Amino acid sequence: MAPATQFEASQPPNDAISSLVFSPSGSQPNRLLVSSWDKHVYLYEIIDGAEEARLINKYEHRAPVLDVCFGANSNEAFSAGLDQLVKRIDLTTGEHQTLSKHKDAVRCVVYSPQHSLLISASWDSTLHIHNLSSPSEVLTIPLPGKPHALSISPSKLVVAMTARLVHIHDLPTLLTSTSTQQIPQPWQTRESSLKFLTRAVACMPNDAGYATSSIEGRVAVEWFEDTPESQARKYAFKCHRQPAPEEEGGGDIVYPVNALAFHPVYGTFASGGGDGTVALWDAEAKRRMRQYQKFPESVAALEFSKDGKYLAIGVCPGFESGMDEQTYNAEGRSRVLIRELSETEAKGKGPK
Amino acid sequence: MGKKKRGHPDVEELLERPWCYYCERDFEDLKLLISHQKAKHFKCDRCGKRLNTAGGLSVHMNQVHKESLTSVENALPNRQGLDIEIFGMEGVPEEIIQQHNQRIIQNFYTAQAERQAATGNPPRGNSSSQGPTKKIKIETPEELKKRLAEHRARLAAQKAAAANGTPLPVSAPIDGQSPSQGASPFPPPQPGFPYATTPVTAYPPAPQGYPVPAYPPGAPGPAFGNLPARPPGAPLIPSAPSALPQRPPYSYNGGAPPPGFPLGSGIPSTVDELVASAAAAGGRTPGGDDIDQLIRMAEAGIKPAKTAEDAPVEKKKKGMRMVYDDTEVSPEEKMAALARYRWVEETVV
Repeated sequence: MAPATQFEASQPPNDAISSLVFSPSGSQPNRLLVSSWDKHVYLYEIIDGAEEARLINKYEHRAPVLDVCFGANSNEAFSAGLDQLVKRIDLTTGEHQTLSKHKDAVRCVVYSPQHSLLISASWDSTLHIHNLSSPSEVLTIPLPGKPHALSISPSKLVVAMTARLVHIHDLPTLLTSTSTQQIPQPWQTRESSLKFLTRAVACMPNDAGYATSSIEGRVAVEWFEDTPESQARKYAFKCHRQPAPEEEGGGDIVYPVNALAFHPVYGTFASGGGDGTVALWDAEAKRRMRQYQKFPESVAALEFSKDGKYLAIGVCPGFESGMDEQTYNAEGRSRVLIRELSETEAKGKGPK
Repeated sequence: MGKKKRGHPDVEELLERPWCYYCERDFEDLKLLISHQKAKHFKCDRCGKRLNTAGGLSVHMNQVHKESLTSVENALPNRQGLDIEIFGMEGVPEEIIQQHNQRIIQNFYTAQAERQAATGNPPRGNSSSQGPTKKIKIETPEELKKRLAEHRARLAAQKAAAANGTPLPVSAPIDGQSPSQGASPFPPPQPGFPYATTPVTAYPPAPQGYPVPAYPPGAPGPAFGNLPARPPGAPLIPSAPSALPQRPPYSYNGGAPPPGFPLGSGIPSTVDELVASAAAAGGRTPGGDDIDQLIRMAEAGIKPAKTAEDAPVEKKKKGMRMVYDDTEVSPEEKMAALARYRWVEETVV
């Protein structure tokens, strides 16, 4: 059994990290894309057994990049950023191709390999659905609020918006809608189980449900199935908090939960918070399995590799209330850490 | 229980009353205590459901409202923990029981002393004219004779008790001046009482060298006459929450003390002196015990003043501080508005 080790990617982004994704399983499963506020997307490759993550390339953008995802293979990526564009990047040649333009910054971008759909969400309160098998077809779906997080499962798309709105779309329906150009209704409309602004969403790899997190140190787990039994199973819990020092009046300091990621094999999940910690949770047994040592800065992004062997952690200063031009500075303080998990590290014990 | 006695109950009765771990209130019987706990401490603030235990409430909050319970409502600041499962009197830690009993005893004797000081009446069960220390004691020959008769009667009673097979722990001469320590199984608090757990009260130094009964904490007082030994607190049985906890077996029916039980003889003068010296030495109001203070403040809805020793207890009550608290605008939107990240549309390509 390989012991757990942790190492840092060489040449991390210069500024805050916005997102971090692993390549799909296939020829190069250990590729890692990191998008940053320094207007670049970074491509790293983890060398198995060498405890090393090497920078392969970086791709310049016109504006800070807010999200990135892999396409059908490890050579294709899609990015979204403040320049309001959704772009396709050929990772080998570095070629950029603009797929669509929103009316405001594009916050998230996700790709569904099962349906070859690319979905982008923008602060102009729309979704763009790109059918990549016929690239000309872009469907715009208006949203009732600004989207803040997107997550995709084999058959569903979860959109978390302001005002605690959550829409769940059915991907096959979206696919047919792209050809008919009719705006589909969401498969389900829900109110967030959390009282505060949604920060992150992550779908379970078994297509059964999803987890959301909020700015108020809390995570909720719920299921897609719309039956009373399934809905009765949903729960929420507090996390990423710490007691305040006495001289500051006590109480709890509550951090936003910035990142959520499910383990692709075991179905357990990790949460990363503004307190600089990463915790592993067993969604079935409702237990915390581990909490890793505190990082010097806030955890901005998390992702498990598709084989579940690595956990990549993007660490950079988090934007806190009351910060401004002078007080927020993430330059040179971002790090990409990779944790090689031991075999049982992320394995839950099951219910009870 | 016999008919409720008027006036002031004696210390055994007080000690026997069931009381609430969370707020130190005591009750007439266990049923009342349990319904108090369900209403005050184990009630769900979302839906009003009354649960049997804090653990039950925690599970309920988790399952029904998807929230987690962090502390017990309306509890004293140092009793809010969820780690102890309390039902009625079950599950109360031994040292807390000791602490409670200690407090009851302390309060009882200070209250008794205050009453005597206020009324000038002799204590119950002592018909001699030996009043509070304030009064100048002038004994008439009649009184002296009466006292001698009493003394003889007492000796006879003790002999009778000894004849019953119980050894007498009191060997000191009983003359009304030197107090017979240990006359009650629950003697008034003494300086140097080996009370090993949380130092709630620091008793003022004794005015003079009293014979100090060295009871180990948790041990009952010396067995006396016909009085059965009190079990050291409620047994900690992990029983089902539906079953009412058993009271400790106690045959003493709350009436007059059994024969051979010289309750209170000689004690009052000691307590008076104790209280007087406590007030003089510590400047502390009689009965101004720390726990009492906490209870009074809790009742008045005042948070304890922030002192170094109170601080760790207090913080659970305090609110939280969110590092990012804008519920409408995400941190990314705020960052995007900073000059260094702001996107200005160039001439469209």
